[in-house]
Amino acid sequence: MPGGVTGYAAINSRVRAMYSGLLTAHDWVRLCETVDLGSLVEALKSTVYNPYVANLEDRNLTPRRAVYNTKRHLADVYTQVIRAVPAEVRALVTQLYRRYEVDNLKAVLRGIVAGAAWDPIRFVLFPYGPITVLPAQAMVESGNVTTAVELLRGTPYFDTLSYAMSRYTSEQSLFPLEVALDLAYWRELRHELAQLNGDDRTQALKIVGTLMDMTNLMWAIRYRVYHHLSEEEIINYTLPFGYHIRDESIRAIAAGADIAQVVERTYPDLHDVDVLLHEPHSGLPVLELQLQRHVAEACRAAFSGYPFHVGIPLAFLLLNEHEIQDLTVLVEAKSAHMQQEEYQSHLLTGCTPG
Amino acid sequence: MFYPEEMTEAEIIITAKDLLAVTRALAGMGVFQQADASYLSVEKGLDSTDDWQERTSSYGALERRILNVMQTLGIEVGSPPSVDRATMVDVGTISTQVEQTEQAVQTVSRQLATELKKLEVLESYLRQMEPVAGIDADITALRHPRYLFSILGTIPVANVERLETSLARMPYVLLPLRQDNREMVVLLAGARNNADVLERAARSAYLNPLNLPEAYEGTPPQIIQALHKDISASRQRIGELQSELAKLRDIHRQPIQILLWEARTSRLLADAITHFGRLRYTYLVVGWVPSSRVEELKQRLKKISSNIIVETNPTRRSTAPQDVPVALRNPGLVGAFQLLTTTYAQPRYQEIDPTVLMTVTFPLLFGAMFGDLGQGIILALGGILISTRKVKSLRSLASLGPIVTACGVVAAVFGVLYGSFFGFEDVIQPLWMRPLSNILTILMIAIGAGIVLLSVGFVLNMINAIIARDLGRFLFDHNGLAGFVLYWSLLLLAASIAIKGFPIPTVVFVVTAVVSAVAVMFSEVLRHLVEGHRPLIEGGAGTYVVQAAVEIFETLISFLSNSLSYVRVGAFAVAHGGLSAVIFILAALASPGHGVGYWIVVVLGNLFIIGFEGLIVSIQTMRLEYYEFFSKFFSGGGARYRPLKLQPAQSE
Repeated sequence: MPGGVTGYAAINSRVRAMYSGLLTAHDWVRLCETVDLGSLVEALKSTVYNPYVANLEDRNLTPRRAVYNTKRHLADVYTQVIRAVPAEVRALVTQLYRRYEVDNLKAVLRGIVAGAAWDPIRFVLFPYGPITVLPAQAMVESGNVTTAVELLRGTPYFDTLSYAMSRYTSEQSLFPLEVALDLAYWRELRHELAQLNGDDRTQALKIVGTLMDMTNLMWAIRYRVYHHLSEEEIINYTLPFGYHIRDESIRAIAAGADIAQVVERTYPDLHDVDVLLHEPHSGLPVLELQLQRHVAEACRAAFSGYPFHVGIPLAFLLLNEHEIQDLTVLVEAKSAHMQQEEYQSHLLTGCTPG
Repeated sequence: MFYPEEMTEAEIIITAKDLLAVTRALAGMGVFQQADASYLSVEKGLDSTDDWQERTSSYGALERRILNVMQTLGIEVGSPPSVDRATMVDVGTISTQVEQTEQAVQTVSRQLATELKKLEVLESYLRQMEPVAGIDADITALRHPRYLFSILGTIPVANVERLETSLARMPYVLLPLRQDNREMVVLLAGARNNADVLERAARSAYLNPLNLPEAYEGTPPQIIQALHKDISASRQRIGELQSELAKLRDIHRQPIQILLWEARTSRLLADAITHFGRLRYTYLVVGWVPSSRVEELKQRLKKISSNIIVETNPTRRSTAPQDVPVALRNPGLVGAFQLLTTTYAQPRYQEIDPTVLMTVTFPLLFGAMFGDLGQGIILALGGILISTRKVKSLRSLASLGPIVTACGVVAAVFGVLYGSFFGFEDVIQPLWMRPLSNILTILMIAIGAGIVLLSVGFVLNMINAIIARDLGRFLFDHNGLAGFVLYWSLLLLAASIAIKGFPIPTVVFVVTAVVSAVAVMFSEVLRHLVEGHRPLIEGGAGTYVVQAAVEIFETLISFLSNSLSYVRVGAFAVAHGGLSAVIFILAALASPGHGVGYWIVVVLGNLFIIGFEGLIVSIQTMRLEYYEFFSKFFSGGGARYRPLKLQPAQSE
């Protein structure tokens, strides 16, 4: 199918129709005002989430189930968009979606190491749908990481993990496997971006590149602040490419430069980063939230201007992801009977109108 | 056809002795969609479902074990048994049989896996040694150097550049020895006092060191020779083990296929029972069945036992809960168009299934835009060809075949009306008009047709509201009665201003337009009023008024844009004629004397029009259906009908 107007007319109409299903500021106010998890789910029944939460009644309602069901909406949105986008960008959108499969794979590996049974693991996984290549249940039931990795033979993950397995064997830590998966994932996404042409490439870079920047920057900071890794390790565990962020910035962080200065130089509208980094356990999540707001801004910006490009579906998908992230926070907060002021700083959208 | 099939909620009470027979009958009929009633058991403190869950897991685990054995032996799953023979086998019995087969197969397959792994390792040693094959020196001396730190190993190609970056601030040598698509054999060397940094960098770049066993000693050619010898022995052993597996495959093929289907059927039946409600002495099965099949279901269950109680309750559309499954029954050509409806959304139980309308309007809109007798016939023939599945590369599009055929036939009819035959405007006389000669007329007719379609949309929305007993929506929705009156008031107001001597005074339409606009503007308040919902306004009155003003503005804009959107039907009819004219100009340029070149350009041009314009017109038609028409009355979001079946699950 050709790109441009002919290729994107149908998906553009569809995305714009689905866009109206995103929760509005009014919806968020209503959801935040609910008193507990039960009433939150009731309120969700008057939104696009209704088909996913309709069968949740008090007797079977748990935060885990509520979150799992809302994520099914995101899985459906991804599936619909992947099906509808022009063939030449389908690989990119599919690869973007694979982030959740990579997360599932990591969760499965952690489950195996923890010796967990399949049942408790299955609802922690993202409901990826039939296009998954992970034999998740068989992996968990195999009971050990080596056999589980063998089961991935023929999938895009096997080569990556088989390289990293020698480190797992010697270190008995999932860290090298998870890092290898992450790096391979983003390299592949970058590769798919590079396959695009013209406006598609420019627009996709704006959206996916911003997301990539955020991920890479947070990796570098975490490796240094949390894991206390050496310069050469941080460099090897981060990406040499990005959209706004230059590799020099990542290497500077690795070499021990002032992180706050590097971040504020890249994102001039972020302030007091040094204050956030002073208490990294509470500050880093806040910094990550601020960077996610940058991604959200890039997504919203994609909807203005010439509309026939891949930026629109990509932006729509990420906005849906943000919505699910906020809903997850809200579900946890409501089930813990937290007050609005306790949780609203963790929301991307917020509970106030407008 | 106009509505999803009427569903009946069925509650079946059965005794434990009939449990299996009833489950098998329900699965065998393939019409009963089960609802989860297992919570009843929990509420009453009867945890029998746990037992069934356990059995389901056991059968599932057995099924996977059997599939593993089959995969090892390369045995295909085979055909499922007939439903009548489907039964639930004892976990213990089947487990023993599976274990016996597994033991026989696994002894050989494990040996084979070990040998394959060994071969892989030997070949990897060989690959790593090949780049240094020309060195006639004892490399085992590198194992214990005094001043040099070196790592010989493989690294993913993608990591090489990053490894070099990470070592940029220290002296080192990275010597690529061999490279294929994904990995590279390298020698990383540096001063021994930098060993910790080099080692960390290599490890974090996933450089896997070559761990050549101590047994391999000497110069590279000597080591390679020893490796070749070991590889050859390993291959011979693998061949022997594979022959053993082939013998086992012949012995176990049929028995293991039977075991698989027994485990699979048992798992499906046990899983169904897991969702039954366990009462004190009986089980409760809850679900939906199409009303047309209720009697058949009852008769089937009566044959099993007279003690089975079946309570049925036809599900009224007005009061139906959200989770009523929606079964669409559209026969023949209409069934093909169902694909287009469900691509947009699954209709809800209480709303009109727009597939029939889609079947009529889609080809009509397409044909009006693509009117050409010859090209329409080609398109119709193409559709028939796709439907026959005779062309392998088009098989995946087979479900679209009837749609393409219908569009082609209607395009051909419009071709006769427009007098167009493969773009030639002088071969047949138009029965109606030539679009290129009557541009304004055809554009106006297109808008008129759009107004009719949109009006149908309004009416359908009102019918849906009546069925759902949603009086507020019926009266005040912007696509309900108020919206409908407003839309027509504005149309007639425009007509009364434009047409002199219009029989009804303008002021009448001004009044009806204002009244209906106010109703649409304050629809939320009015709906709350008729529904008895309080408070009438949620949030502040000021905010509400601003919001209402924006909404009425948006409604008016959408009326205008929706109506004008149909102008594209006429515009494409004109463009079609124009595009054909361009083809003939190009053909005349290629061959002024109308020779072979002329006809080649005409044929290629027609193919281009069929392919390119056909695609654009189909997208435009889809847009008109989805965006303008469906949005007036069709909300979708219904639950899919997924009856309990043995066969589809088997094929999944």
